[in-house]
Amino acid sequence: MVLDSLRGFMRPDQAGPAIVVDGLTEHFRLYHERPASLKERLYRFSRPTFEDFLALKDVSFTIDRGETVGIIGHNGSGKSTLLKVLARILPADEGLIEINGRVASLLELGAGMHGDLSGRENIYLNGAILGLTRAEIDERFDDIVEFAGIRPFLDTAVRNYSSGMYVRLGFAIAINVDPDILLVDEVLSVGDARFQSRSLERMRGFKERGKTIVIVSHDLQAVEDLCERTIVLHGGQVVFDGPAKEGVAQYAQLMGTGLGDDERHEDGSFGSGAVRIDDVILVDQYATRVTQVTPSQQLRLRIRVTARTAVPACSVGATFRGGTGDLYEVHTTWQGLGVGPLEEGQSAVVDIRFTAHVLAGRYWVTPIVTDPSVREQFAVRPDAIEIEVTPAPGAVGLVDLVASTSVSEGPALTLGGAETTGPIPVYSPDEDDDARAAGA
Amino acid sequence: MSEATGDAAAPAGAGGGRAVASPPGPVRALRDKLYDLWMARELLRQFVGKELKVRYKNSALGFIWSLLTPALMTVVFTVIFAFVIRIEVVDFAAFFLSGYLVWMFFQNAVQGSILAIVGNGALIKKVYFPREILPLSVVLSQLVHFLLALLAVSPYLIWTRGWEIVYRLPMIAVGVILVTMFTAGVAMLLAGANVTFRDLQELIVVIFMVWFYATPIIYPFALVTDADNTAARTAAIVLSYNPMTWFIRIFRESIYGEVVVNPAHDPTCVGEACAAPFLTTAQSWPSAELLGAAFAAALITFVVGYAMFHRFALNFAKEV
Repeated sequence: MVLDSLRGFMRPDQAGPAIVVDGLTEHFRLYHERPASLKERLYRFSRPTFEDFLALKDVSFTIDRGETVGIIGHNGSGKSTLLKVLARILPADEGLIEINGRVASLLELGAGMHGDLSGRENIYLNGAILGLTRAEIDERFDDIVEFAGIRPFLDTAVRNYSSGMYVRLGFAIAINVDPDILLVDEVLSVGDARFQSRSLERMRGFKERGKTIVIVSHDLQAVEDLCERTIVLHGGQVVFDGPAKEGVAQYAQLMGTGLGDDERHEDGSFGSGAVRIDDVILVDQYATRVTQVTPSQQLRLRIRVTARTAVPACSVGATFRGGTGDLYEVHTTWQGLGVGPLEEGQSAVVDIRFTAHVLAGRYWVTPIVTDPSVREQFAVRPDAIEIEVTPAPGAVGLVDLVASTSVSEGPALTLGGAETTGPIPVYSPDEDDDARAAGA
Repeated sequence: MSEATGDAAAPAGAGGGRAVASPPGPVRALRDKLYDLWMARELLRQFVGKELKVRYKNSALGFIWSLLTPALMTVVFTVIFAFVIRIEVVDFAAFFLSGYLVWMFFQNAVQGSILAIVGNGALIKKVYFPREILPLSVVLSQLVHFLLALLAVSPYLIWTRGWEIVYRLPMIAVGVILVTMFTAGVAMLLAGANVTFRDLQELIVVIFMVWFYATPIIYPFALVTDADNTAARTAAIVLSYNPMTWFIRIFRESIYGEVVVNPAHDPTCVGEACAAPFLTTAQSWPSAELLGAAFAAALITFVVGYAMFHRFALNFAKEV
């Protein structure tokens, strides 16, 4: 009784909006050389050298109960930092945050899983990390096991799980927390198509029950489908806050036309501006613009740059991102090629020819203009090109190694010849697990 | 500025959060912190269970391991101090165990917690929960080992020291609570500080070695206070201001008895004829003074450790 009234006192009513952010500013220290130990600090006397990096600048907004809000912005715009502050992982350096309701954050699936513990033990551990009491976990236990499809492996240590099972278990736990506010960071981009559609379905169910959802995503289509409102972040500031369709359009414009290039130069994080990128296009071997390609297709990235002041030499390059992180980086200077000298106002076009040795997925290309030593960045246009690689039969993974198979000794069989059965089905980790589950 | 100020607080889980749009006062902030901790009690239970389970998951002897170390150390120290370098206390093994088990709890808990934050970086960067759960779960799992070890040696203690011990159980319980508070305070302080000063985890090994000998565990306190030279007097002062001395004394006086200099002993007498030994054991209860000092040390250390931990915790996600 006493405990109940104490809890009543400590757990006041649920009035007010779901999330209020007021004047939020977040700093990061980028250490040049971080003295990690006490000895080094004493030894050097001087304070460590670092740059103060403002990840979020005076961000304010209010999210009402039942709203689904997408936060979009290019890499480094501060959207993930914002989500971490909302999830209370990072404290607010300045400004105030108010959150009314139980929060569950899906920043990484299975973040709290312990490999040595069984699936059953991990459900309890992870549920507790996400804020459930034991009784609540007991109640949800069957749903979680059912959704993850791991019943035969409940008492197996999770380090023996396939990656598909691992991800599904993580998602099943998180989605069953049944929070008032759900924070999601790109996690829906993991797993195969079937898993993605299943998780999207769950998110829609959430929305229908009047829960508040905040999503950070690169997937503009998903944001437009799921959210009624978007907040566009740029250089740590809110540049748009309104209906999803307009926000997505605004963001596309921000990315595409280089709007705000000047603004970016002001904050210094997007190049010194001696050279600017006018246009970037992706074409196939017939010089037609493409966005959808097949694995190992030959492609050409065409970058047009213009010097704003006279430049003796510069280098044009690009980084390729996708899957789990950066995949590839190339600069003309690394190939012994420079661009220049350029007069003020003079333009140059650089072609980067490459073969997309990657398998199905989305990839992003960031063109960069630098000095010949690739130290000073003249211009960067993050994720200017999106490449969608379509699925192809015969292999799975990230890199297309263009494998072919043969039986060099012993008898061989033709299984599902290409003429009669069509392409061999793409491997799905889901089905594989289910097959194993059925066999066990 | 939002209108949501004042008393519009929110329910929070371990993964849930609340903050206010008006800066919370210190009382309010503490209330919120304690509420978060209360809501995360299931997580604390899970973490303690995990500590205990993972540790013995792949070992054949399991829990026996946590008894084997003190057992072996008891044998070694008993051989050395009861037969080689003679410290003439009765039942040296019982004398030793009554202090050593407390020390092992303190040392294992603190040395384990110091890595609790830096070793869980992935978790800290990805999910929110009250961070003090990490060091506290190490302390509590070590407390389980400590209590089990006490239980395991209790038949031996009863056999050598008599049923008297049973009457002293309430005092032993008080000692357990006090030493756990003290240990938790030190554990939180060092776990938090180690994120910024990574040298601590190396330094602590040395500190504990010195601290072990600066605490009357393998020798009786009376042996130092009685000695009559400057060095010994300095040592006696250091020892009497060492909080671990107070906790060890509470346990030792309850479990074993107080070791005192025998008034019948005659230092000028040499040889077989001197029957009265130098040291003798007196049955006594810990003094109110001793209990008061231990209580103050436990409370202050816990509060300071908890407060400092929260100060350090602001940077965990950025620095870990």
